[in-house]
Amino acid sequence: MKISKEKLLELFEKMVLIRQFERKVYEFATTGVVRGSVHLCIGEEAAAAGTVMSMGKDDYLLPTHRGHGQGLAGGTESKRLLAEIIGRESGLCKGRVGSMHFFDKENNNLGAQGILGAQFPIALGVGKAIRNKKMRSCVLCFFGDGTSNQGTFYESLNIAALWDLPIFFVCVNNLYGMGTHYSRTSKVNISKKAELFGISTKVVDGNNIEDVYLNSLELIDYVKKNSKPALIECKTYRWMGHSAFESRPYRTKEEIARWKESDPIKNFKVRLLDNKITKEEIEERENKVNEIIAEAAEFALKSDYPEFDDSIIQ
Amino acid sequence: MRIIKYSDALREALREEMTKDENVILIGEEVGQGYRGCFGVSTGLYEEFGPDRIIDTPISENSIMGLGIGAALMGMKPIVEIMFSDFVAVCFDGVLNQVSKIKFMSGDQFNLNFVLRLPGGVGNGTGPHHSQCLESIFMSIPGLDIAVPSNAYDAKGLLKTSINHGNPVVFFEHKKLYKTEGNIPEKEYAIPFGRGIVVRKGKDLTIVAISYMVKIAEEVADEMKESLGVEIEIIDPRTLVPLDIEIIGDSVKKTSRLLVLEEGNERSGVAAEISYRVNEKFSDYLDYPIKRIGSKNSPIPMTPKLEKAIIPNKDSVISEIRKYFEI
Repeated sequence: MKISKEKLLELFEKMVLIRQFERKVYEFATTGVVRGSVHLCIGEEAAAAGTVMSMGKDDYLLPTHRGHGQGLAGGTESKRLLAEIIGRESGLCKGRVGSMHFFDKENNNLGAQGILGAQFPIALGVGKAIRNKKMRSCVLCFFGDGTSNQGTFYESLNIAALWDLPIFFVCVNNLYGMGTHYSRTSKVNISKKAELFGISTKVVDGNNIEDVYLNSLELIDYVKKNSKPALIECKTYRWMGHSAFESRPYRTKEEIARWKESDPIKNFKVRLLDNKITKEEIEERENKVNEIIAEAAEFALKSDYPEFDDSIIQ
Repeated sequence: MRIIKYSDALREALREEMTKDENVILIGEEVGQGYRGCFGVSTGLYEEFGPDRIIDTPISENSIMGLGIGAALMGMKPIVEIMFSDFVAVCFDGVLNQVSKIKFMSGDQFNLNFVLRLPGGVGNGTGPHHSQCLESIFMSIPGLDIAVPSNAYDAKGLLKTSINHGNPVVFFEHKKLYKTEGNIPEKEYAIPFGRGIVVRKGKDLTIVAISYMVKIAEEVADEMKESLGVEIEIIDPRTLVPLDIEIIGDSVKKTSRLLVLEEGNERSGVAAEISYRVNEKFSDYLDYPIKRIGSKNSPIPMTPKLEKAIIPNKDSVISEIRKYFEI
């Protein structure tokens, strides 16, 4: 399948949006505007945009703790997510919960997860509800390589396969769970784990958006047509620390530099130019994103912190 | 009026709500086929509502909880049954970090209908992994409402309210109550949360008791009336969150003495919480400091003499009352 020019530009724009958004969050984090920790997905933009942008409008999303990109790709407004991340009342969740825990019902986002592995059983319930309601939908259940070691993953693979639930498991394999390399945590590859339960899987270059997007389209179509689970493993790399401030010595500078060579955005830009998309068209999208982020930052910073009232006492 | 068992009353509530709304589903181990309900609560519902509504799961408590939470996020009204309340520890993340917090965390985008049914309490020699009363643990988690029905009538009425509550409910059933019988009206009814009842009137001492301990309190009251002429008033709050503190206050104003009785561990227990709440508001009316009785702080033994020594029973409660209140 060939991706249309318009779609290519959309994918590009979304990846740039995610990166610029994360850079703004980093700036806010390093200047004390963000409280607590944030987990950035710079370097992983193709895995987020390529999978989520193959969703239909009736599909559902369960993002991870590193979920800003997944949310943005799913249509969440930058300004409301940014306001949430800095704890303002105009945020998606009234500023209460911040980066790791945002919900966006309007965009079928059923809640990002601060507890790694908790999303798997919840995905089962979403999948079961889709079946009971006879909807032609699926749920995208995101997780990282490290989280594939939680018991809930195996339980959910078993039940999803046993009951033919329309769940699209999306693994963003960035090689590290915090500071621990995947090879130190698991005997087998993630896709193998799913294959054991008879689940269709694909392993893709998570830094190549066309690869991610086309395979996701195919798998989502399979999931919805057959009401069966599937899994995609996007091999990518996290440029930043586990959280924004972290710079622990568990990776070499050379390793990071090597992965930055396969920058999903820079390399895509080269391919776009080869694809008869002009420099101007690309710049137009980049400028649009810059405006969105500037407006989002202004909106978020201008918003008030929520005041306490008794309504949160339960 | 009909006389039916506690377990049958629960089934009636399930059946009525399932008939009304196809979003109501029951999820758990052995709820449909196989045992057809470990304690017989859901027996026959599988045949009536089929596998999509009465959902048998593998032995995977985390998934059972998650199935409920995910379905609730999709607007359904799941009832999650954990076969023995003790097993909820396996899926406690779903309780502590997920379902209880979703309303708050989502900035009120989601108001979930979700019932977690937990059969608890000592059977006969069910031992440390199948006997616990865990109400106090849940009571300390913001975002959960808690029902503790002590009889068939309340079991049905509270479960019907719980299913449509718009906030997660932890619903404690007691194994020793399943076979107890009660009067159930022919007509449909529901019991609101936060309204306790006076189980029996008295003037000398108030006992606030929950779940199966209401039965023990009644035995205590019978015997103390007969042997000593002491008239005990028994209050069953029926829900712990929200708690009907006023009905307890009204009773204490009359009796000036309060005992709070539960089967859960005494330390940091339900009784400790209720005692504090009463003390805070009604201490002027008390002639004695509040007394609490729960299980002694130990895992529940299987062997009968030890089990009896740990769990409050009629004789131990009477003996403590007489000593403490100098009756």
